[in-house]
Amino acid sequence: MKKKITLVVAIMMIAVMVVGCGCQNSSTNANKEMTIGDTTFNAENWEETVNPHNTYNGWACIRYGVGETLVHYTDDMKLEPWLADKWENDGANKWTITLHNGIKFSSGRDMDANAVKECFEHLLATHDRAPSDTKIASMEANGNVLTITTSEPNPALMNYLGDPYACIIDMAASNMETGVVAGTGPYVVQEMVTDDHLTLAPNKTYWNGTPKLSKLTIKTISDGDTLSAALQSGDIDAAYGMAYESYPNFENSKYQFSSIQTSRAFFASMNMTSPVIQDKAVREAVAYGINKEGFVKTLLSGHGVAGNGAFPDGFSDFGGDKVTTAKKYDANKAKQTLEAAGWVDSDGDGIREKNGQKLVIRWLTYPSRQELPLLAESVQASLKDIGIEVEVNNTANRRQFLKDMGSWDIYASALVTAPSGDPQYFFTTSCVPGNDYNFGAYDNPEVTKMVEDLSKEFDSSKRAKLAVDLQNKILEDDAYVFCSFLQMNMISKSNVKNYTAHACDYYEVTADLDIE
Amino acid sequence: MGKYVLKRVLQLIPVLIGITFLTFLMMHAAGSDAITEMYSNKGAVSQEIIDAKRAELGLDKPFLVQYFTWLGGILTGDMGVSYVSGKNVFDTFISKLPATLLLTLLSIVATVIISIPLGILMAVKQNKFTDYILRVLSFVGNSLPNFFVALVLMEIFAIKLGWLPVISAGTSVESAIMPTLTLAIAMSAKYMRQVRAAVLEELNKDYVVGAKARGISHKVVLWKSVLRCAMVTIITLLAISIGSLLGGTAIIESIFMWDGVGKLAVDAITMRDYPLIEAYVVWLAIIYVIVNLIADLLYHALDPRIRIEEEH
Repeated sequence: MKKKITLVVAIMMIAVMVVGCGCQNSSTNANKEMTIGDTTFNAENWEETVNPHNTYNGWACIRYGVGETLVHYTDDMKLEPWLADKWENDGANKWTITLHNGIKFSSGRDMDANAVKECFEHLLATHDRAPSDTKIASMEANGNVLTITTSEPNPALMNYLGDPYACIIDMAASNMETGVVAGTGPYVVQEMVTDDHLTLAPNKTYWNGTPKLSKLTIKTISDGDTLSAALQSGDIDAAYGMAYESYPNFENSKYQFSSIQTSRAFFASMNMTSPVIQDKAVREAVAYGINKEGFVKTLLSGHGVAGNGAFPDGFSDFGGDKVTTAKKYDANKAKQTLEAAGWVDSDGDGIREKNGQKLVIRWLTYPSRQELPLLAESVQASLKDIGIEVEVNNTANRRQFLKDMGSWDIYASALVTAPSGDPQYFFTTSCVPGNDYNFGAYDNPEVTKMVEDLSKEFDSSKRAKLAVDLQNKILEDDAYVFCSFLQMNMISKSNVKNYTAHACDYYEVTADLDIE
Repeated sequence: MGKYVLKRVLQLIPVLIGITFLTFLMMHAAGSDAITEMYSNKGAVSQEIIDAKRAELGLDKPFLVQYFTWLGGILTGDMGVSYVSGKNVFDTFISKLPATLLLTLLSIVATVIISIPLGILMAVKQNKFTDYILRVLSFVGNSLPNFFVALVLMEIFAIKLGWLPVISAGTSVESAIMPTLTLAIAMSAKYMRQVRAAVLEELNKDYVVGAKARGISHKVVLWKSVLRCAMVTIITLLAISIGSLLGGTAIIESIFMWDGVGKLAVDAITMRDYPLIEAYVVWLAIIYVIVNLIADLLYHALDPRIRIEEEH
């Protein structure tokens, strides 16, 4: 009996050791888990699933490595091949796109032209912006070649096909109800709880490298203080969307920053219907009087870049560095301009007058972008130095005020001026009379004609030249002042590798993301 | 009793209509809607797209039409769908409720455990060192806003000591400790003083003097008579607290990423998701009426001198 018991115990011990060894081996090979705290993956940001065809959910799809697009943006916002190897246009409405060979969806299906066509058909039927952006009229699939015909010439088509909504997903394997889709990216969705977390597993059939992590969790953390505390406590390994005021907690060797300049501009639009703004000298003085460098250095603690043109310096081939008509901060020149136009401080209160009217500017802005109220403060101080009083209206209901053109003089807002890397978007939406984002009713027929030319021009170097000319023109008119551009920062622990910020803000998770 | 309960439940109808109407009115007066919020945060789109989207959700209709459409839905048991997620509002709300219920229960239990013994101790040791110390502590606790207590707890227990997680990993006990403590500290600070006042008031009444004169021990008087009478005040306070806690402690839920109805409501307000906000308002109204009704019935059970309305 004793021998039997000894034998059973011995067998059990061996079994436990064998199982134990097995577990240890597998955990050593596969136990690379990482958690990213993210302020954007939530319903509050209209990113409640990873279904790219639903409002702005495409950002989550591409950001977290579930989906990929036909083209990829470089950090200077030029296009490069991704799921598509090459593309050609016939000079008018027909585009021929050749897909990369051998790519499979995470569902196992081949990503061929037919699958891409199915995906785009669903996108065009359900998405709110894609049909007007892409202007796709028809598609034909043949093996790995997709032919697209647009309803009118659309030189920026390929740029739009790099937008997150154009992530290529397998329509047959995606659940559009739950928002869990099968893409071609390095990770696949394992579990998704909206407003709480997204758990990702490596895509074993990934075509472009080997995902390094065995498990990646995107944890939704909407509160800035909580995000900061979670990274400090080690609950998360990396953070996206950290507030500026928390940065000092991470400026040490235990953490690393990945920073990049983006095309999110903080800029002022002049209300061309306002009597005081119609005075060219006032517009010019405002342009000279805003201390952009001081704003970025002091109020943003260096976490931004002073603006020159509508796009950041060095951006593609039409960056702000190529613009020649932007006004640099020069308080003396601003004062001289105002004095020459008859604006003088006759009663000694520090504010200039003309014909008995004080030089007061009503500055409209909104609080949801933390930089904008700071910009208002900065402008208020620097314009006071030149004798202009600025009355700030910082309100979440700015659209109500924007409708009433008599209630404001300058509107300061934030806008990604080239979300698809192409310049046309900004000029079309913001500089053409009657268009939706031309809040100040700016109307220069020469500019309108140039925007029209841009919309028909396929040659990229000519497009770039037109974009630079347009920036020069609108700045010559002092219709806009581009104050600064957002510098995006992503913070991670020092043992995290390749958690890298990109200019387009789309590619947060890649196959190279790793943790030691 | 049955008639009384029925009457109170029927009173809920005008209350619900009134507050849902006022909520709708206030949301419209705010001058923004879900579609405006969506596109203003993400990017520029044409006015046609904005208008089409608004029409799809019925946001282009006059205010009264929108309200009565919603009310009609509620009367037929349909709370509508979320403007943001497109999911059924009732299902979404119900899915978040267990987390809030758990946090409420834990916070109330913690508050009772902390505040009642300390409040009694303060009363018994009136104007002595222990009383002074506890009064100072309750004063400090009362002065600190919830979010600040939360940040202090995070700093100590999560960042410095590393004992507890900052963010909730589901509704686990470990994740519940800090949000529970945050809520309990603030509530206990308030209730310690209330319990102290209620017990002191009872201790000064004639029946206590009489009982002591008859030779009944102080302990028996305290535990069997004084506390029972003081419980009426304490229950009123707890009822109010349960009401507000069940409404979700929005800030605490948001800070600790506790996935309850409070956080849901904050997100819905941010995005002007009217159907979800209205569901939350309806829930709050029902909870307040029911909790107060239960409190009234409990008064009667605890102190038969208090008569409920129909018995007058």
